[in-house]
Amino acid sequence: MPRYGIAIDSTKCVGCHSCRVACQNQNSLESNETFNWIKHRDRGRYPSYYKEFIPLQCNHCENAPCQRVCPTGATYTSKEGVVLVNPKTCVGCKYCMEACPYKMRIIDHRRGIVEKCRLCIELVRDGGTPACVTTCPTQVRIFGDLDDPKSAVSIFIAKTGAQPLRPDLGTIPKIFYKRS
Amino acid sequence: MQDSAWGWLIITYLFLAGAGSGAFIAAVACDLLAPDWSKTLARAGSLVSGPLVVIGTLCLVLDLEAGFWQPWRQIYMVNNLRSMISWGFIILSIFIPIALVYAAALNEITFVGKLAQKYITIIEIIGSIFAVATATYTGVLIAVVNGVPFWNTPLMPVLFLASAISTGLAAAMIVAAIIDVNTIKTLSNFALGHVIFLSVEALVLMLFVFMSLTRSTEAAASAGMLISGMLSPYFWGLVVILGLVVPFILSVFEFLEYGQMPKSLVVGADILVLIGGMSIRALIVFSGTPPQII
Repeated sequence: MPRYGIAIDSTKCVGCHSCRVACQNQNSLESNETFNWIKHRDRGRYPSYYKEFIPLQCNHCENAPCQRVCPTGATYTSKEGVVLVNPKTCVGCKYCMEACPYKMRIIDHRRGIVEKCRLCIELVRDGGTPACVTTCPTQVRIFGDLDDPKSAVSIFIAKTGAQPLRPDLGTIPKIFYKRS
Repeated sequence: MQDSAWGWLIITYLFLAGAGSGAFIAAVACDLLAPDWSKTLARAGSLVSGPLVVIGTLCLVLDLEAGFWQPWRQIYMVNNLRSMISWGFIILSIFIPIALVYAAALNEITFVGKLAQKYITIIEIIGSIFAVATATYTGVLIAVVNGVPFWNTPLMPVLFLASAISTGLAAAMIVAAIIDVNTIKTLSNFALGHVIFLSVEALVLMLFVFMSLTRSTEAAASAGMLISGMLSPYFWGLVVILGLVVPFILSVFEFLEYGQMPKSLVVGADILVLIGGMSIRALIVFSGTPPQII
């Protein structure tokens, strides 16, 4: 069984938010709802100043705090290592939203449940690639099997030494970043 | 990227569950330890305990979304014993009926009360265990949240328990003054309880806030917000001065002057303790800051 993950080359990101729109389109979200974000950070000082764009989404942590705190067991990890929410058993207590140190979960008030990035698992099971990955004009995201050393994502991580965000938090994320 | 997912409903719940379980502990302590003159306080504490926890639990249910509109979903809430909400569900399901039966027993309400009076000691022992569990688990509930490093300390449940006992005693004393005006004099006996538990609460609060300054960057940011930042007027004004210092001084005088203190000051001190208990929970929730991730 694969163990899916994404490597993100933030040096390529231009902050166009295509990934956000593609995600909203794929998951039929309202314009004010999203499963991914682009945050920016000031780097350097004039005259060598630049703005770093950092695409964010659920890290699909192996040691997921959201899953640990979920009282109903609605949050679970699929066999592919994707952290998902069962819409039938979620009660909307929002404990998972508090527990997530990355704050990557949102509440869907229409259905009264907590939602999050699903790594487009339906697409992926049919042999596709998540919408945020395919849509990116500068190919910031690389998707693939982290357990396969020959996959593009594994090779990229090995070559660049990409790291998860805040690995010290101990949640073992599956989204890796090349920051510089 | 969401800010705090929890708001006033959860804060109100944390406060009411604490005050309700504290009132139960105060009632049991009076009934077991004190002579006849304190029966009014035991009755008042038992009367107020169950309803406070019930109202708090209603706030909790109102904060649910799908679980509120489709209540049958709530049966899933005991599925994960690693979740403090599952434990809370179990603890509240046991404590609420015990608290209501205890109120019936001490106040001789209907045949349930008469029947329960025969087993009053068992109700008091088991009820006290679950009252402590209710007060403590609310602290653990937020202490295990990875998303807010400020809360990740074992001092949190200790603070919540100390605050629960002082707010519970305050709630019981207010109700005692309402149901029996003549009891106001004997309430001075319990001022010593306020002196002790407000001191413990102040000590734990000081340890919690100041030790957070060195725990982690995020915890320090939150503690800084309370000590000298955006929330500091509320922290020093509502929690420290109005919620701890003033009722502490009033309680010392109340105890020393024994029954000579004006009624308004006796009840006033108790109301201030309740304001402090609510404020400390609100400030702990609102000062929570997530880790800096980028």
